[in-house]
Amino acid sequence: MTYLIEIIQDGFFAAIAAIGFSSISNPPRNAYGWCAGIAAVGHITRYILTHNPYGNAHIIFASLVAAFAIGLLAVWLAPRAKCPAETFSFPALLPMIPGMYAYRTVEALVLCLGSHTEADFNHYFYLFSSNGLTCTFIVAGMVMGVTVPIFLFKKISFHATR
Amino acid sequence: MNTTLMTEKTVKTFKETESSQAAPSVKEACIFLSEYAAWLLGCGATCIRIEKNVRRMVHAWGMTVEIIILPGHIHLVVWDGLHEHSYSNIERIRHTGISFNINTRLSKLSWAVADGKADFDEARATMESIVKMPPTNPKLVLLLASLANASFCRLFGGDFVSMGIVFLATLAGFRLKQAMLEDGADVRFTFFCCAFFSSVIGAAGYVFGLGGTPELALGTSVLYLIPGIPYINSVSDLLDGHYISSFSRLMNAAVLTACLSAGLCGGLLLMNIQWF
Repeated sequence: MTYLIEIIQDGFFAAIAAIGFSSISNPPRNAYGWCAGIAAVGHITRYILTHNPYGNAHIIFASLVAAFAIGLLAVWLAPRAKCPAETFSFPALLPMIPGMYAYRTVEALVLCLGSHTEADFNHYFYLFSSNGLTCTFIVAGMVMGVTVPIFLFKKISFHATR
Repeated sequence: MNTTLMTEKTVKTFKETESSQAAPSVKEACIFLSEYAAWLLGCGATCIRIEKNVRRMVHAWGMTVEIIILPGHIHLVVWDGLHEHSYSNIERIRHTGISFNINTRLSKLSWAVADGKADFDEARATMESIVKMPPTNPKLVLLLASLANASFCRLFGGDFVSMGIVFLATLAGFRLKQAMLEDGADVRFTFFCCAFFSSVIGAAGYVFGLGGTPELALGTSVLYLIPGIPYINSVSDLLDGHYISSFSRLMNAAVLTACLSAGLCGGLLLMNIQWF
């Protein structure tokens, strides 16, 4: 039961985040609901992949799969909403940005530069590279995952606004 | 040649072009299409969409087109149906900020032209009305972006106190961003200032001992500034082989990310946060 509540909570907050971040990009009014729904499905997909009793997937792989799900859903729904698939899929992806990895990368860089001993430098450089690499590959997986469906289904993607 | 070179394979005969009552002259079509593409590029459309939309309309008018998409300009050459006469135009990008609304409506306009539902004059008038549409209400965007960032904090595992701190930090930082951009401040300087401002407010959890997850509050407080859409557009252009456009968008986004990171570092140093 707790697991189910956590999943619902994850989807709910992802939906709110998607609505807010999409508003910055001036979407058509009818796009807000689609953005929220697609973001919730995508984030729940990643949550289940990284938190399940059958073996937790790595966050990079989980992000790639979730982004691909977002991309597929957006391409499928775009003709119904009469909007380009990017209108939903790009803002819906934003709640998955690995913000804390990015923050810890910057944090470690500052400490690395300010360290006085070799041991401290090595420790903070390790944190910097570890967080930085993870962050970079999560972002790369996300953007590849969300973009590929648009290219795989070009006919649907570019006829959506007809 | 530069990024994009697109040649139409389907060439209608000159007679077909002449018989089309609504078809514009080559010059009119070229000027209209280059402006259209400049607006699409400015509102954050991907290169493949710009190409497809322009090609769709040119087909409908029985002409052919070659298009070069540069980081700051659109270069268009439109040929008549017999490939005897051409007109060329270079148009500077229209900076509208990311707008999926303009992107969607301009894409719909291209289909209206292609399907014969709008003639040239209607298309020109429609485009002028689309680009004059006001953006989303800034106060609503401010509220929604603040709620979004607070939700983002929750997704990382932040407690409700941290969510409140992030909400306030985003509210203040985003308002500063709106005010600075309205005043015409440099966008990179704006990102630096907003990240600095938000991170100082976001450090409230550390400074006043509020909540159980002050690190998450501080780390999330600047994330509303991450230029996510340009990063994704960059990869889309990369997959479609528009390397200069892709690199340009990637660099623009990377510079903004560097500015917000510098602002965050400044905030962290000012507040003398003890990490780890």
